[in-house]
Amino acid sequence: MNPLRHSLRVFAAETLKQHRRLFGQPLVVFSMLVWPVLQLATTYYTLRPVATASRAAENWPLAADPDRLLAFLATGTLAYAFFFSLVQSAWHLSFERTTGTLELLFLSPAGRLTLMIANGAGALLQNAWLLTCFTVAALTGFGTLSVSAWWMYGIVLLALLIPAVAWGAFLNSLLVFSRDSAFLYTILDEPLWFVSGVRLPHFALPAAVQVVGAVFPLTGSLLAVRGALLEHRTASELAPTLLGLGALSALLLVAAALILRVGEARARRTGALSLV
Amino acid sequence: MTMTTAIEVRGLRKDFPVREKGILGPRTLKRAVDGLDLDIPRGRVTGLLGLNGAGKTTTIKILATLLRPSAGTVRIDGLDAVADARAVRRRINLIAGGERMVYTRMTGRENLWYFGQLYDVPKADLRRRTGELLDLVGLSGAADTMVERYSRGMTQRLAIARGLVNRPDYLLLDEPTLGLDAPIARDLRRVVADLAAHDGTGVLLTSHYLAEVEELCGHVYVISAGRHLAQGSPAELKAATGSHRTVRLTVTDPTERTRAAADAFGATRETLPDGGELITLRHPGDMAGPLTAAVFEAGGSIGGLEIAEASLEDAILTLAERGEAGLAGPGSGRPDATTIRPGAATAPPEAATAPPEAATVPPGAGTAPSEAAAAGVKGGTP
Repeated sequence: MNPLRHSLRVFAAETLKQHRRLFGQPLVVFSMLVWPVLQLATTYYTLRPVATASRAAENWPLAADPDRLLAFLATGTLAYAFFFSLVQSAWHLSFERTTGTLELLFLSPAGRLTLMIANGAGALLQNAWLLTCFTVAALTGFGTLSVSAWWMYGIVLLALLIPAVAWGAFLNSLLVFSRDSAFLYTILDEPLWFVSGVRLPHFALPAAVQVVGAVFPLTGSLLAVRGALLEHRTASELAPTLLGLGALSALLLVAAALILRVGEARARRTGALSLV
Repeated sequence: MTMTTAIEVRGLRKDFPVREKGILGPRTLKRAVDGLDLDIPRGRVTGLLGLNGAGKTTTIKILATLLRPSAGTVRIDGLDAVADARAVRRRINLIAGGERMVYTRMTGRENLWYFGQLYDVPKADLRRRTGELLDLVGLSGAADTMVERYSRGMTQRLAIARGLVNRPDYLLLDEPTLGLDAPIARDLRRVVADLAAHDGTGVLLTSHYLAEVEELCGHVYVISAGRHLAQGSPAELKAATGSHRTVRLTVTDPTERTRAAADAFGATRETLPDGGELITLRHPGDMAGPLTAAVFEAGGSIGGLEIAEASLEDAILTLAERGEAGLAGPGSGRPDATTIRPGAATAPPEAATAPPEAATVPPGAGTAPSEAAAAGVKGGTP
């Protein structure tokens, strides 16, 4: 028995499961592309009259250029789609508490953290690829990309993927042991959009909101993505942000492992799948 | 430490913390399992019986590593179910009755593949195993159909196949045929018997269908309120609890003599609307022949004869009632438990001997009833 091979098999199994769950109907293309693009359009046409006003442009020069504003919002929408797809995925996983399949996962010898990571990553890969392709193609077409080196695309991808997968594992672990998944789903929707600077630059948010936003990896991912794709930042310039993201991702994975350990131990003691 | 190929449970106890009043109320412990000892060897179907709330499902979940015992030990082939839980999970599987815990947006084949991956079943083996299992549960024709299009029975059969996907050394069956159609339930019983007899799988079975337990189990543990009441083969349990066969004899023209013959056996009599009489005798022995012969000899016309075998259900109910009343007999190391071994069974005093008259029935009299019942003939008058 090879633990790495077993983990890869669990990963493949969860990916198939997510594929079946997400791609059961052709209308899935709406949640993968049409809906995010509509959100982007709504945000853009709401912000544009305000952002192009002279006083606003003084504080936020990027906003004066409609193409750059659109690129700013598009990267925000893309990164948000990465992270919010994991909120949705975790919410769906929490349904397995009631359908009984969650107990079967705990009955199996599959690694719990592996399951949580695989579940999130499987959903992410299938949810985000279309919007990613669309966004990259659109930004290239508009000519708004300003990238210091070709391999910065790789850094952008990692800056999105790694924190998102860690975020997904953390949320999955939290929600499978939570009776209030609907509540968590709600507070991680609009507030996540707001505190992470999806629609507005981070510096424009109140200090308290910036502090709250720092807890979410989406904030750091957005700084890295926009810095690399729109602001011509080099890897060394982005190093503090990337290191912070790495640390936050590690913290989220440790927290996920801890939640799983505590949650499963409690479930085995009390018979209830909950943390408290 | 000796390595054994069995599940060994010693002094198992499980307490659940419960709050009586809301989330801030005082926390108390509710004992679900209380000092159980079980041995579940490979190659045998072992039954675990008890009334609702007896602790059967809790026990099974502990063996499946889904619950942690509060005290006592569970060793599976020498592995500790707590310390070595992950290794134990590779050797066991659990099938719960009425279970439809599969993924509805995947096909039957994909479900089995998915769980095979979780159990790390070797690739080639998994492909073969998936085909075998789909055949076994009669789903080969629907193997590539989404489960959401399955009927309830089909989904349940898939759930059963899921429980076998890792070729478990020990299979825990919690009411496995609950809700299954009779032919499928029969097939499942055959599969379970084969698993034990030919593959050497150790099976622990709980079921409310006691005929199923009687058919499959070589050894049965009876528990009540989480405590061990008795153990033994189904026959031993029935014998030890004095479970009775019931003979119902219809006499079409009862007379004082036929009534006296019935009374001599301790039978009860009931007058039927058509003037006939129903004689009912409950007895641990095979008294149909002697009773019918005696009535026949007394000049009675036999209108019908029905023999109901002693049931395990009666035995379990008796044991449960004794357990609840704290009246269980001595035997298995626990002061309130009974271990029933071959030859050790004792019938209650009233069942130990047949009525004296019955003993005088001449050889061959036992063959008369069936003929008489079939022909509805009137007996000879002495």
